[in-house]
Amino acid sequence: MVRLITHNLLACHVKGCTSNNFPLEFKDAKLELREAEYNSEFIRGFLPKIEWKALVDTARQLGDTSLPLEQPEMLDDEFLKNLHHVLLEIHIEEGSMICPNCKHDYPISNGIPNMLLAEHEIG
Amino acid sequence: MHSYLFQFAQVHHEFRLPELSSIAELHGFPLSLLPQPEHRDPTRPFMIIGLEDEEHARILARRCILIKSVFVFYGQGFNYDELHAANQTHQGEWSRFAHDTSFRFLVTAYNHKIPQTRQREVIESFSYMGFLGKIDLKNPDIILTCFEEYDDCRGTTRERHEGDGHFRQVFFGRLLEEGSARLLIAKFDVKKRNYYGNTSMESEISLLMANQTLAAPGKLLYDPFMGTGSMAYPTAHFGAMVFGSDIDGRQMRGKEKIPGVIRAATQYGVASRILGLSTFDVTRNPWRCGELFDAIVTDPPYGVRAGAKRLGRKKELTPTQRDLDDQPYIPPTRPYELSHLAADLVILARYLLKPGGRLVFFLPTVTEEYEEVDVSTMICEGMDVIANSLQDFGSWGRRASRHFPFCTLWRINFFE
Repeated sequence: MVRLITHNLLACHVKGCTSNNFPLEFKDAKLELREAEYNSEFIRGFLPKIEWKALVDTARQLGDTSLPLEQPEMLDDEFLKNLHHVLLEIHIEEGSMICPNCKHDYPISNGIPNMLLAEHEIG
Repeated sequence: MHSYLFQFAQVHHEFRLPELSSIAELHGFPLSLLPQPEHRDPTRPFMIIGLEDEEHARILARRCILIKSVFVFYGQGFNYDELHAANQTHQGEWSRFAHDTSFRFLVTAYNHKIPQTRQREVIESFSYMGFLGKIDLKNPDIILTCFEEYDDCRGTTRERHEGDGHFRQVFFGRLLEEGSARLLIAKFDVKKRNYYGNTSMESEISLLMANQTLAAPGKLLYDPFMGTGSMAYPTAHFGAMVFGSDIDGRQMRGKEKIPGVIRAATQYGVASRILGLSTFDVTRNPWRCGELFDAIVTDPPYGVRAGAKRLGRKKELTPTQRDLDDQPYIPPTRPYELSHLAADLVILARYLLKPGGRLVFFLPTVTEEYEEVDVSTMICEGMDVIANSLQDFGSWGRRASRHFPFCTLWRINFFE
């Protein structure tokens, strides 16, 4: 259950890997869709934290095209519901997340990503 | 402001006021205590609290774990003359029930049992109120209650009813609502949980801590020492979304395919509010940016059974050891000193919390006397301590030293 909201918050944190380390790229992602309760306040509150391009690109790679390329200024209900779906209802159960820069592979198993670093990767 | 009489469970005294003020803050209403010290003593079962609206008293009764019941306050005194005099000044509040409202009148005591004959005498002493409605013991419209509070004489031998009438204080009011949040203690009982570990936090404390986080729908919370998820279930129950991480993923997973934390959350109907789980060392965390969470709530690992760990090696490897290929690779960990952990947690919270966000965590102190100094050494610019609540575990372990785990509540400053 790596949801895209989590994916949008995690960057590669290997020692020295400080540029082009976000967003992580999904590999062999096994998706599951699960309904989540809609709370427009939560979505609105979270909006300023989103890296929009990273979210839209990732959603499109995973086959969801409901979000516009540019973040709209007017937040209508339909947009918020689409955003809710993308952020909270798409779950990546298996696969891995690869750093675009250092190629570190963060494996996902039963929906829990392993973001632990090896000893030579910590500062 | 109207006065309400609150009856509290006589446990976890130190959590009482932080819990009340947290829930009042969450719902944005003021709450005022009487100035006299006897009305501010959390070790006593009754407290008179001023609130603007009856609805506020009901909100507290439905959310605060330590509230047993709430009454519309009619009077108190150190003897019945004082009580009746006070009650008469509140006539405006009860006279409307006098004509034809069915009622029940209870005379009861804390730390004592009042003989039936005197109970009747007490009831008759209220006859000036002129209640003409039907007396109904099963389904009355209103319940009037008179409480006598006695000193605790546990451990002493005495005659039945000895000391009757020698109470500390007597209180009188009309029952407004029974506290319903106490039922959650049984609901979240660890023994009935589908997944738990040997260090899972007891349900009452985890609920009290959850209330201090101001958990509510629309909020995002984080537990960086998720373990078996004890702190996540009550906060999610109150509507918040919770993210959990732990350096040891096995704690969150358990042995079955569906992670244990998700199984327990499903049992409580809050699985969709577990925003996500991830394995990482919080001191080497992958968060892309700060100011993400409304609260951080955690029970950090400590003690002999489950000491804290962080990434790194205790000793450097020899070259031959280094050449051995251990597959799958498990990063080495080293012990994490508790005092460092607590100080790091405060600094981490300053980075990860939104302005006004809260950090609530449990921390054991090993000193004979609990000292606030322990906390002040962790203070950093931008974070304030709002409350410390002690939970007395009594003697623990072989040595005579006492362990006092306590819950500490921090708030990030609005202005840095």
